[in-house]
Amino acid sequence: MIQLHNVSLAYQKDASALNDIDLRIGKGEFVFLTGPSGAGKTTLLRLLYGALTPTRGQVLIDGQNVSRMSPAQIPLLRRSIGVVFQDFKLLPTRTVFENVSITLEVLGWGRADIGKKVMHTLKQMGMESKINLTPQRLSGGEQQRVALARALVNDPKILLADEPTGNLDDANKNQILNIFKEANVRGTTVVVATHDRRLIEHGHKRLITLSKGEIVEQMEKEAGPGEQA
Amino acid sequence: MNRWKKKPAPASKPNKRPTLAGEGFGGRLGYYVGRSLSNIRQNIFVNVVTIGTITLALLIVSLFLLVFVNLENAAENWSERVQVTAYFDRELSAQEQASLRSRIAAIPGAARVNYVSRDEALKRFRARLRGQETLLEGVRPEILPTSFEISMKRASRDTQSVEAFVSGLKRIPGISEVQYGEEWVRRFNTFLNFMRLVGALLGAFLVIAVLFIVSNTIKLTIYARRDELEVMALVGATRFFIKAPFLIEGVIQGGAGALLAMGLLLALYEGLLHNAGSFLTFNPAAAGLSFLPVEYVYAIVLSGVCLGFIGSLTSLKRFINV
Repeated sequence: MIQLHNVSLAYQKDASALNDIDLRIGKGEFVFLTGPSGAGKTTLLRLLYGALTPTRGQVLIDGQNVSRMSPAQIPLLRRSIGVVFQDFKLLPTRTVFENVSITLEVLGWGRADIGKKVMHTLKQMGMESKINLTPQRLSGGEQQRVALARALVNDPKILLADEPTGNLDDANKNQILNIFKEANVRGTTVVVATHDRRLIEHGHKRLITLSKGEIVEQMEKEAGPGEQA
Repeated sequence: MNRWKKKPAPASKPNKRPTLAGEGFGGRLGYYVGRSLSNIRQNIFVNVVTIGTITLALLIVSLFLLVFVNLENAAENWSERVQVTAYFDRELSAQEQASLRSRIAAIPGAARVNYVSRDEALKRFRARLRGQETLLEGVRPEILPTSFEISMKRASRDTQSVEAFVSGLKRIPGISEVQYGEEWVRRFNTFLNFMRLVGALLGAFLVIAVLFIVSNTIKLTIYARRDELEVMALVGATRFFIKAPFLIEGVIQGGAGALLAMGLLLALYEGLLHNAGSFLTFNPAAAGLSFLPVEYVYAIVLSGVCLGFIGSLTSLKRFINV
């Protein structure tokens, strides 16, 4: 599903953010990326959804070479990738429902189908009673669940999460982790960048540790039910 | 990339992807308009500020235009005084009058041709010297010349056209002298050109200021919503899909601002400027200022719409690079 071949990326000439990364993540895998701040976790994720182009090497998503995509092709790639962030990136002026429906509006779904699918997804997240609230009136955990609903509503092939629990307490962390696991069970490949040890211990299947832009360690705890690589 | 076994599609996935009625821009126009209307509702403060700015900016420009158009009209009226007089040293018979009148009227530029007989000339002379009638003692009509007074067409009141007309007139035999107040015509046209130049400079300055203010206001409002652009790009929206509602919003803001400006201008005009002519008593004959011609009103509304559209387009270019 995800392949990186000798990928290097330098924001500036002499300071490389990623250095010669070789990585293969199979369909249906659940992977944690960890490492200290500045190790290159976020940069790696940004490469995967086409927000950055590598200075050297190839990034393949589902067989497509992201590093060679034209700007017009990137949106199409992103329709099969859900992304969540530490700061949720919800639109403050729109309701929970509208925040989630954006994903399907972009795909051109009809209004009735959007309504059904969004309600279904929000129900899975336990957010169905808050569809008409704006994000400011939600707790951090609730906001992250809305962001997850937005990322998962179109059943993406890949879910990328950048420090998704950085702003959350333990109860909320578990909830979020469970949502990741459910998505993974439904067939979505999940990549979570975090340095939250607790999250990794509870959810870890495959752990990749980055440091100074390089992969320094790869561990596999057990073969989960979703893994087929 | 098929090294991994394909999983069966999850049951919750809808079987076919439903679409909106009609693909492409036409089918989605309804969606874009709806989106931009709810954007306006959801960002009401920002929109009120933008529309207010556009309204004030266009109101200033249209007030200036109103004054300028009225000055032009006044100048047109003053230019009625551009008149050429052809003198004859004898009284003309009715036949001569008719043939000369048609010859004069045939010269390009002539509008009205009016014959002034000796008696008429004396009458006017008397009227001018009212109160000093003693000066006219012994003056008989025979010593006064007869004349044709020729008023000029609107387009032929500039110095060159008048001079060309006069030289044409001088070729007609029998005319003893031609007068047309050269100095006055020259001064009047110089003043007119100066007024137009100042008007154009002021107008250009105003338009540049308006463009600057409006485009920066729109830029700030889009900057305030750059998260929205980012999120849209994250969920896979094409550039056009992201831009379209913002552009429609710009058009609505520009159009609404222009219509409001016109409404305010009309209110100002009806309330204050309508009677400004007699109010300022600079010309008791004039019936006050007139409102902008309807073509100008259309042009201002259209330019408001363009202003909103182009302002949004150029601002979006800056922020959509995700």
